[in-house]
Amino acid sequence: MKAKIVNKGQLSGLLDKLAKDYDLVAPVKEETITLFKKISSAQDAFLDYTNSDVSPKGCFLPQSEKIFSYTYTGDSLEIVKPESAKKTVLFGARPCDIKAITTLDPVFEGEKFGDEFYSSKRENTVIIGLSCSKVLSTCFCYAFGGGPCDGTGSDLLFTEIGDKYYVEINTDKGQALVDANSQFFSSESTDQLAKDKEELAKKLAGEFVKKVDLTGVKELLDSDFELAYWDEDPYKKCIGCGTCTYVCPTCHCFDIFDFTTGDITGDRIRCWDSCMYPEYTLMAGGHNPRPTRKERIRNRFMHKLKYHLDRYNMVGCVGCGRCIRKCPVNIDITKIINDLKEVAQNA
Amino acid sequence: MMNLTKQIREQAKKLLEEKKVDLVIGFGQGTELARTTPVFIDSPEGVSALTWGPFCANNLAKYLVDYKNAPGNVAIVVKGCDSRSVIRLLDDNQISRDKIVVIGVPCAGQLEWQKVADEVKPDATLKETVDNGDSFVVKTSTGDHTFNKKDYMLHRCLVCENPNPVIADFTIGEELPVKNYAERFAEVEELEQLGLEEKSAYWDKQFSRCLRCYACRNVCSVCTCELCVFDQMKPMWVSKRTNLSENTVFHITRAFHVAGRCVDCGECDRVCPMDIPIRKLNQKIHKDLKDLFDSPTPGSKEGLLSALGEFSLGDPEEFM
Amino acid sequence: MPNPTALTPYPVTITKIVDETSDVKTFTVEFDDPEVMDNFGNKPGQVCMLSVFGEGESTISITSSPTRGKFLEFTVKRVGRLTEVLHQMEVGQKFGVRGPYGNWFPYEAMKGKDLFFVGGGFALAPIRSLIDFALSDQYRSDYGKVEVLYGARSVDDMCFKGDLAERWPKLHNTGIYTTIDRPQDDWKGHVGFVPNYVEEVAPSPKNKVAIIAGPPIMIKFTLPVFAKLGFKDEQIITTLEMRMKCCLGKCGRCNIGSKFVCVDGPVFSQAELKGMPKEY
Repeated sequence: MKAKIVNKGQLSGLLDKLAKDYDLVAPVKEETITLFKKISSAQDAFLDYTNSDVSPKGCFLPQSEKIFSYTYTGDSLEIVKPESAKKTVLFGARPCDIKAITTLDPVFEGEKFGDEFYSSKRENTVIIGLSCSKVLSTCFCYAFGGGPCDGTGSDLLFTEIGDKYYVEINTDKGQALVDANSQFFSSESTDQLAKDKEELAKKLAGEFVKKVDLTGVKELLDSDFELAYWDEDPYKKCIGCGTCTYVCPTCHCFDIFDFTTGDITGDRIRCWDSCMYPEYTLMAGGHNPRPTRKERIRNRFMHKLKYHLDRYNMVGCVGCGRCIRKCPVNIDITKIINDLKEVAQNA
Repeated sequence: MMNLTKQIREQAKKLLEEKKVDLVIGFGQGTELARTTPVFIDSPEGVSALTWGPFCANNLAKYLVDYKNAPGNVAIVVKGCDSRSVIRLLDDNQISRDKIVVIGVPCAGQLEWQKVADEVKPDATLKETVDNGDSFVVKTSTGDHTFNKKDYMLHRCLVCENPNPVIADFTIGEELPVKNYAERFAEVEELEQLGLEEKSAYWDKQFSRCLRCYACRNVCSVCTCELCVFDQMKPMWVSKRTNLSENTVFHITRAFHVAGRCVDCGECDRVCPMDIPIRKLNQKIHKDLKDLFDSPTPGSKEGLLSALGEFSLGDPEEFM
Repeated sequence: MPNPTALTPYPVTITKIVDETSDVKTFTVEFDDPEVMDNFGNKPGQVCMLSVFGEGESTISITSSPTRGKFLEFTVKRVGRLTEVLHQMEVGQKFGVRGPYGNWFPYEAMKGKDLFFVGGGFALAPIRSLIDFALSDQYRSDYGKVEVLYGARSVDDMCFKGDLAERWPKLHNTGIYTTIDRPQDDWKGHVGFVPNYVEEVAPSPKNKVAIIAGPPIMIKFTLPVFAKLGFKDEQIITTLEMRMKCCLGKCGRCNIGSKFVCVDGPVFSQAELKGMPKEY
């Protein structure tokens, strides 16, 4: 694998250059909240974070997005599509969140229907990952094959080691970015840093607190939809908000509707939606296939642990731990996995 | 705190054994050291899941609405602030008094779990918590930590007016003295000092972060509409789209809809994944109600009418 | 090849509107760009997303068979915001259509067989495309006898009266059975619920496929009748309705287990449904 080094002193120069050449999206801190936003200079970036409050999936699937504008009079109709995506660099995303993007790819770049809005952003974006330097008590990326220094899905992966960043070049797209900005990349030998990175990865891998064992869970969910477990605790305590789904980097559900102020023009909007909301599946005639929180909770966890695997042969969870931290009532997917494992064992 | 946990368990066990209730809703140890999670106990053997301490921030009263049509009776563990919700729910005819049993626990304050988690080793497990007046000592498997209440408590606890439940069939432990940590409306007064444009800029910045997850609404014990205007599809009054204008409509509507009924439990603040200071909106309304009508905090006494649901000849009539 | 622009509708113009009942209308539409129709390739049983600008989109099954001409028919019941606006539209006005989506009735596998259709109320709409397909000059010889058993609450609630009373009975080797729930002065035909009428007509399972669409309660009581008559689960085909937003298998909401009704359905055999969660 090809690698380079960026000395820490060079980073702000690189980011400033990227902000000039691209739309640069990076973690920023707003009061207590870390989220991804377009920045215009390196000093706006906030890299000393562990896990942002909101994932960077919005880079590709924004929470609200215009699909087209229309002018409609009844007898005439004109549709104007938005401009395609700008060249973008997503900088500083954590490995779990980048892996999450790879789980969204098969959804939007589907077998039969693509998604021009997602794909054009995806194609025009260079993803620069940033390895973790710390493991939170809620982290469990290892359980789904990820890791704090895992480069899956990234074009470049930066790993902070001492006063340097070890930069792995994972794709041609990443290589092109390095080539175009070679003045910021040192050409010194990367051998030592490669070893240091491996050490770091090993060290962090030993720091996970959440013990997650998926043994038998998928098989159990395959075999029994009506598990008594779904009548228990999780659904009773769920308050039915959309927090878990909105902070989740792999949730991709959306709604489509028209926004108009009542005249002949309007916008068709797509925005995030949540399977936790009652009206999500409510049909115009009044029938609701998932009428209570029990069905909705079951659907969410089945989606993460079974449906996404069935459809795309990919996990529906990357272990970022946001839903655990943000759930108002401490519904914890790792507890649910472990509970299900036990149900499977006792079956 | 262990002693109080024991007493809560005993009380719950007795109620279940004597079939006075079919269900006890209380706090159980959560999946993080500094968190509890709501637990639903339906057998005397299950009571060992109940716990008590400075990590019982959730207001469980809203769950009573889920069980209002259930056949049996329900017991619920409440803190002082939560007990105001129970009174409000009774006054709003959301629940009936004869179907609920209130287990009140005097509360010495609740710690912000994230702040505690930041200082405790990730793999530590909780052994015990001790209330030392101005601080809590959190004893863990990897050592003891002292957390000053002033710095680590939830904001709402800093201005707590009801450490002792205002309604309870059983009170666990000793009643606590009412402490005035700070002026109740200090934060709102600070905001009031700002000019119109500054205020607008402040809230624009807050609301623009909103994800519209509706956690603040769903957790709110006085948000009990069967169909919320924000969920209504026909007509769709407000779309799910996030932008400043629609987010603002949501927050202002929510705040005004609970005006005069909001019990100031602060759950909206606690659950917001984006740390929007939602409670400040309602605190402003509380402050105005107090200034204009000398209205006590809703739910703080049984039988109080909502300030906006009551009319007296002495009410100020600024607009007439 | 994946269609990347799938979320953008094509403009259509309404060329005809038939009032089926007081709250059901059939709209005939033509694409403003005739090339769209030439490449549309809709098959019986598929659905489209109808765009009513200002209201959004709704999933509606294509009521017409592709064999009937270069147009599409949508039979729409007035139940929600969007359909209410659609019902106020007039001939010559425009709305948007994208599609076709979903799977279709297994008309290849049905070749050489008799077809027995059961429809209740408004829900003749999603199977009418296949009836007309099988009865078309082009494909008539591929199928045996085509029978349609249709029930509605009252005469006023009957859809596709022209098809049922005039068009279909006149065609070769068809059997049309209609019924209403309760007796009515101006009705000389059969009276009674659909499941009972199926039992009376007693179709033989021999070399036959049953295609059923109707309200859940009708389906619930009709399925055991077919089982009693000896139909196997594989011989019973139905079509499902779910709330959909994209119809492309992305927006998430129409899943039943791992299947998305919008791309894996809406057509399922009773055998397939038995292997799926009862979440529809």
